[in-house]
Amino acid sequence: MPSKWLLFPGRATALLLGNEAIARGALEAGIGFASAYPGTPSTEIVESLAWAAQKFGIHVEWSSNEKVALEAAWAASVSGVRALAAMKHVGLNVAADAFMSIGYTGVRAGLVIVSAGDPGMWSSQNEQDNRYYGLLGYIPVFEPSDPGEAKELTVKAFEFSEEHEHAVLMITTTRVSHVRGPVELKDLPKNFKTKGWFDKDPSRFTLVPQNARARREHLVSKWEAIRDALSNLQPFNRIEGDGRILIVADGVSYLYASEAAERLGIDARMLKLATPVPLPKKLVLKALEDVDKVLVVEELEPIVENQIKALVAEEGLDIEVHGKDYTGLTGEMTLERAARSILEFLGRGAVDIPWKPVDDGGLAGKLPPRPPAMCPGCPHRATYYALRRAVNAARVKPVYSGDIGCYSLGVLPPFREQDMLIEMGGSVGAGHGFAKVLDKQIVISIIGDSTFFHAGLPALANAVYNRSPQLVLVLDNRVTAMTGEQPNPGTGINAYGEPAPMLKVEDIARAMGVEKVVVFDPFKIKEATKALKEAIEYVRDKRAPAVAVARRACALEATRRARRAGIKQPLYQVIDDKCTACGVCYNAFTCPAIEVKENGKAWINPDLCTGCSVCAEVCPFNAIVKVVEEGEGWDDVWF
Amino acid sequence: MTYGSSGGKLALTGRSLNILITGVGGQGLITLATLLAETAIYRGVKALIAETHGLSQRGGSVEVHVRLGEVKAPLIPQGGVDVLLGLELIETARRLKTLSEDGVVLTTDIMLRPGLPGVKLPDKTSLIESMKNVVGDRLIVVPASKLAREAGGLLYANTVMLGALAASGLLDGLVDVEDLKAAVARMKRAEENMKAFQLGFDYCAATCRRGNP
Repeated sequence: MPSKWLLFPGRATALLLGNEAIARGALEAGIGFASAYPGTPSTEIVESLAWAAQKFGIHVEWSSNEKVALEAAWAASVSGVRALAAMKHVGLNVAADAFMSIGYTGVRAGLVIVSAGDPGMWSSQNEQDNRYYGLLGYIPVFEPSDPGEAKELTVKAFEFSEEHEHAVLMITTTRVSHVRGPVELKDLPKNFKTKGWFDKDPSRFTLVPQNARARREHLVSKWEAIRDALSNLQPFNRIEGDGRILIVADGVSYLYASEAAERLGIDARMLKLATPVPLPKKLVLKALEDVDKVLVVEELEPIVENQIKALVAEEGLDIEVHGKDYTGLTGEMTLERAARSILEFLGRGAVDIPWKPVDDGGLAGKLPPRPPAMCPGCPHRATYYALRRAVNAARVKPVYSGDIGCYSLGVLPPFREQDMLIEMGGSVGAGHGFAKVLDKQIVISIIGDSTFFHAGLPALANAVYNRSPQLVLVLDNRVTAMTGEQPNPGTGINAYGEPAPMLKVEDIARAMGVEKVVVFDPFKIKEATKALKEAIEYVRDKRAPAVAVARRACALEATRRARRAGIKQPLYQVIDDKCTACGVCYNAFTCPAIEVKENGKAWINPDLCTGCSVCAEVCPFNAIVKVVEEGEGWDDVWF
Repeated sequence: MTYGSSGGKLALTGRSLNILITGVGGQGLITLATLLAETAIYRGVKALIAETHGLSQRGGSVEVHVRLGEVKAPLIPQGGVDVLLGLELIETARRLKTLSEDGVVLTTDIMLRPGLPGVKLPDKTSLIESMKNVVGDRLIVVPASKLAREAGGLLYANTVMLGALAASGLLDGLVDVEDLKAAVARMKRAEENMKAFQLGFDYCAATCRRGNP
């Protein structure tokens, strides 16, 4: 639930999440259209806007993927409606095809593309630096340092975009998007422009080669005008302090560098940058006046550093420029890292760092690890359990082609049913390649419903067309669970929570020409195992694709629905006399609600049990029984 | 800069406090952090929270950084934690290294089993003993499992610990205890949460009141 402050009409200071602050900025800027595909750490931007949307008549949607989200937002913008498209950093890869042409066409009403990066990979498969996309696509990059600045910079980005008829790429990181801090709210507009008119101009918007060539010339000249304007982007870009040493830092790195320098008592000139791309040369040259050497503090790639090095060379300046040689290329910035980099750059030892980790005598190393786990009642756990049994029963050697979602956790023991995972929708496409070259292994591509709609559809079309012997197992919990249960085309509701068409995976598979399609309930382990075994045997014997759909609601969603509707949740308990301490429920099924007693017998923690019933079926000794009956309507909340 | 939509302002003390909240995803760490930070900015004290969302949150080991007062950067440095507020014992023990020289550990006695096969849980008493060996009398273990159940269930352990922190004196000059109580009274399931807060507060007021770190 987003902060109530998002809708506060007037001025106040509120504690907002960075993503909420961006949403508030978009509202203050009078946005009319917002679209996104959810992805950590970007999700709350459009989630917040969806929550606020109906009050202001704005169109807000969860798009089926980032490419569609960006294309749609661009169309709104060129029709005169201010628009925002949000995605995580890797989402911009999906949207890159559209992104690379948007510089050529330019925009009309402000278009802000937010891409939330993830240095340190808290919730991602890579830590690519999307500031490169700004250089690649000739789109200026705005990079706020904290929630307060994120709000202000969002408003500025819309104005800038409109003024220059050019999109702005706003890049945040986990430590901006998922930081809460004070944000100064300004007045919300009285009216939001949500409808426009498309003035046709094919020479600009229809990028056939002859038009594209002319637009390319225009783009290159416009880029220098944008660069000049960024030199005056006060107070987001500014010079602080003075000295013959210059520290340059952009985005959140500015906060680390600035606090580290203060705590170390170092007097240096500091250039705070909120626009790393293109480098605002005039401002940087001013910052370089009378400076002997420069340290650039930035996360990931040397984007600012390399541009400053190029500038110093162009201008024939005698200034040393450092950066990645002190800060390193991997992971996120920290105060210790900023402090160490500054000290080493100044030729001082790291002994001066004011923070020293405690020696815990190796205690942390002796503790059991706690990776994230599938929730109690998660249907994916039951599916993985049944799949393992089906594979054993069919006596095949499986290759589990994996994908992105909560079910990626199937990589962990005891399941180990994610043999690869590279990107959204990759399971089915890679599964096809595996299936074509592996003749002694059976390929099982495992993909969630949201990921299936996102990028699985073209891959399934290919699998049918090029006849790949793979089982596509769709884990259909009818929600985009990992990012916080956003609706998707299979959910039956839209971003506002209104009823919407519900696309069914099995209907799509049949329409695409898949001949073997099965739908099963993963909570019924025996039936699920049978259905999966049949599908695996079909793939093995017919050498053709099959689709299996495991359908059960996300446990978080189901228990929330039950709570809201006042439906009583059942409870399961272990009969101590019947329990033989075999460990199947806690070692092979690994529900977090099942705990182990001193004597090895199982015990179900009533605070955690969701009443899903699967452990009762999994127990070989019938030692797990229902002790609290469910209320009426319980079954319905699980579909 | 005026913080807070209304209400008076405390003079900035020039002081800062780094609180690292740790536990298992789903224990209500962010709720706890948000209550603290909102209460701080209400009186004009700057507050920053850095959280982890998404996949890493699902029942995994999580930490939330709360920085109050004169601060800029979102993350607390290793060795810079003034208060390690633990909602689960193993997770607290895992992060003793982050403490500053005079940092204080305030932890529940709750131990949750990681969802991995064949996990051997440490013995609670000897784990607490090992923690004492590292931080000495700067370790305060609150019997939160008992107190939270008294308030209505284990899910109130976060509010028990908020009460304990409020009573410890560690927040003095940054967060007003009465404001915090008022914020708890506005929570969902207010009755249980207020009870949990008071139980934690009373326990700590009697046993662990100390000055500023």
